[in-house]
Amino acid sequence: MDTFASCPDGNALLITRVADGQWHALDDDLVVGRGHAQYRPDGRLFVSIDAWHDTTFDRLAEAMSADLPAPLHTVVDEADAELTAGWRRAGFTVRRREWEYAVPTDPRITGLGEVRPPSGVTIVPAGQADEDLLRAVDRAIRDEVGATVGWQSMPAEVIPLPEGDTIADPSKYAVAAAPDRYLGLIRVVPAKRPRIGLIAVRAGERRRGIARALLAHALGTLHRDGCASAWAEVQESDQAASALFEGVGARPVSSNLELVR
Amino acid sequence: MTKNKNVIEVEGRVVECLRSAMFTVELENGHRVLAHVSGKIRKNYIRIMLEDRVLVELPPYDLTRGRIVFRYRN
Repeated sequence: MDTFASCPDGNALLITRVADGQWHALDDDLVVGRGHAQYRPDGRLFVSIDAWHDTTFDRLAEAMSADLPAPLHTVVDEADAELTAGWRRAGFTVRRREWEYAVPTDPRITGLGEVRPPSGVTIVPAGQADEDLLRAVDRAIRDEVGATVGWQSMPAEVIPLPEGDTIADPSKYAVAAAPDRYLGLIRVVPAKRPRIGLIAVRAGERRRGIARALLAHALGTLHRDGCASAWAEVQESDQAASALFEGVGARPVSSNLELVR
Repeated sequence: MTKNKNVIEVEGRVVECLRSAMFTVELENGHRVLAHVSGKIRKNYIRIMLEDRVLVELPPYDLTRGRIVFRYRN
């Protein structure tokens, strides 16, 4: 459905849905704002709006909210006060906050140089993990936290994967191994600034230093490869993860808000 | 229906990451603009970092501002 509103320059602003999940704000036949909506594999509907003026943003948000089923989600950088304010005007509220940590890799800073896994546990480097055991530990941990295809309460990307699969690239995972099964895993995405995408330990094996040993291994590897720092996203309410990263000298450098309406 | 974009698209390179979710992008012509990340990029968790090559939209009425709408892979 098309809707009209006044534009900052006095012309009529036309909001129109141009395709499934795509809206345009037109001013004198020129596109002055765009809105997108997209379902993630976990079923949540995420929206975004790009507009140069608040009026345009508000009209797009209004039209999209009217067209789409609730709840709607979006992600903003908390430092982007203008965009955050726009979504708040549209009725969105904060569902969760995730901190982006800059994580040093130098053992002289992290203090992880001498950290070893607990007795009976070995660290299997990335690219050497048994794929079946890796998928088993990933599945077990996801079941423990109630995750399906995505980690709705965790700051992780939700990417399309084949039905029932949760690991896109096994070569990115290092694991903590017991003789008969894997106990925990860490995924490091190599990039210009490597990203620690996931670190997790089976529920019954926590508080043994396994996560710290996994982190020591991953950061030590990055340091030897010449990477001075990595980054990781941690949900604000996940105090264990925050303590783990802050304990190795990681510092929050920015934060993202997930907003919902 | 017309879909003309009321913007100019230019390639550039991120030369500074600022607080408040802004970036300084040096365009191919040497000009520098203050740019923010498009909602579509942020929604897809694409990270913009120093030295990234990006595509920036500039509004025709203010060529000092921009919006990063695409990050090239290298």
